[in-house]
Amino acid sequence: MDADIIIRLKNVNFFYGENQALTNINMNFRKNKVTALIGPSGCGKSTLLRLLNRMNELIDATRVEGDIIFEDKNIYAPDVDPVEIRRKIGMVFQKPNPFPKTIYNNISYGPKLTGVPVDDMNALVEQSLKQAVLWDEVKDILNKSAMNLSGGQQQRLCIARALAMKPDILLMDEPTSALDPISTAKIEELIEELKKNYTIIIVTHNMQQAARISDETAFFYLGNLIEYSKTEKIFTKPDVKQTEDYITGRFG
Amino acid sequence: MHQIQASTMKWRYLQQSLFFALIRGAALIITLALGGIILYIIIHGISAISWDFITKPPTHSMTQGGIMPAILGTIYLTVGAISIGLPLGVASAIYLTEYARQGRVIRLIRVGINCLAGVPSVVFGLFGLAFFVIIFKFGSSILAGSLTLGFLILPTIIGASEEALKSVPKTFREASLALGVSKWQTIFRIVLPNALPGILTGSILGIGRAAGETAPIMFTAAAFFTSKLPGSVFDEVMALPYHIYVLATAGTNIEETRPIQYGTVLVLVALVLGINMIAIIIRAYMRRNKRW
Repeated sequence: MDADIIIRLKNVNFFYGENQALTNINMNFRKNKVTALIGPSGCGKSTLLRLLNRMNELIDATRVEGDIIFEDKNIYAPDVDPVEIRRKIGMVFQKPNPFPKTIYNNISYGPKLTGVPVDDMNALVEQSLKQAVLWDEVKDILNKSAMNLSGGQQQRLCIARALAMKPDILLMDEPTSALDPISTAKIEELIEELKKNYTIIIVTHNMQQAARISDETAFFYLGNLIEYSKTEKIFTKPDVKQTEDYITGRFG
Repeated sequence: MHQIQASTMKWRYLQQSLFFALIRGAALIITLALGGIILYIIIHGISAISWDFITKPPTHSMTQGGIMPAILGTIYLTVGAISIGLPLGVASAIYLTEYARQGRVIRLIRVGINCLAGVPSVVFGLFGLAFFVIIFKFGSSILAGSLTLGFLILPTIIGASEEALKSVPKTFREASLALGVSKWQTIFRIVLPNALPGILTGSILGIGRAAGETAPIMFTAAAFFTSKLPGSVFDEVMALPYHIYVLATAGTNIEETRPIQYGTVLVLVALVLGINMIAIIIRAYMRRNKRW
């Protein structure tokens, strides 16, 4: 199989209590690509995203079946520590959620507490903020509270915070849905830039955004993976009628 | 029908004014009651207050002299109660909100805690006597009294801490966990610091209660009279609430010691308010950066 596949899902089912949220998902995510997960609300796309870094298990009474293979290992194997998985697979949330700490401490928090040996924390903070294209705006206020930043700046700070852990994969759960159009454009540019070094999997409600920034797109409906292919193909000549109906706005 | 009659408007306005007046009246009555009590205590007690009163032990069978051992005793007992109640209470709250799976056992524990809050303080006193003084052989001592008071204030601290922990946004926890920071570290580095102001509020209430209770220390820590200061936590101490009780009901000369009684009450009230003020200042300082 291709060497450029970073995560493989095999027959994955997921349940919230009795309710099945995902049904028999089989898909491969490619390295250094942007993959968009689209579909109407409740289709399971966010659930799938949170399966990849084991954030779903923070909710009581959830259950996973099947294999999610990352680095030749099922991340749900009993001997795998979810904390280790989350260090390698970072996440950016829907609403910017910086800690009520200084900008500097927001970035240094992860590396410091997870015991990653860092030679030069200042350099790491600078590098992470530069990668998130926030450095020029905050370099003089690193010791000010992150809560004073604008929503868009906060979201880029959250991206920088995730990047400071040097993850392999960056999961983004509707990262621009709470932001204005200018901030959204900045984040999209950033994603374009980041895919050189990272694999990005992004959930979005915004069809144009998926078309603009992603290389591959997966369409979900009612917990099923309906169609998964190159973004260009999905948006120009999808194989399945449901996909076409959704992207043309006939339902959803 | 679309036009509201002028008289209807007038009636509504009148109604509103009436209810505002009632609410204001209720607030005023409470303030007056509190102010009245404090004023009454100050008027009757201020004459007894002097440097000697707060730095010297009682003399002449407690009809003269100061109340220094009782002040010190109350401070020891309060600090002791908080040192026991706060860590235990916060730890319980962390377990209940962060770790425990919500279910029947947890509900049962919560009911238990609420019941504990409703238990009369004299029952705590008797429990302390039976458990700490006799079974654990601590005797009537600072240790036994602090433990008893510590348990007394536990429900207050647990309740306030739980609310404070729950008020920390879930997104903070998620952000930290998603970075690969362990749950334990997340609680200590993110959740607890942000919950601290709320936890302190609970402690303030606890401090007030611990300093003012008589019944729980009556059998477990308080001495009728001792001029010597405690040398260890196994010694008995005098305490302000108990001292007031003694002077007012069983003193050698109840009428003659009236000014001393008022003076002691004034000192106790001032002490509790003082400790509360410190906690409130610390809380305000910590809340400065809170914004979410």
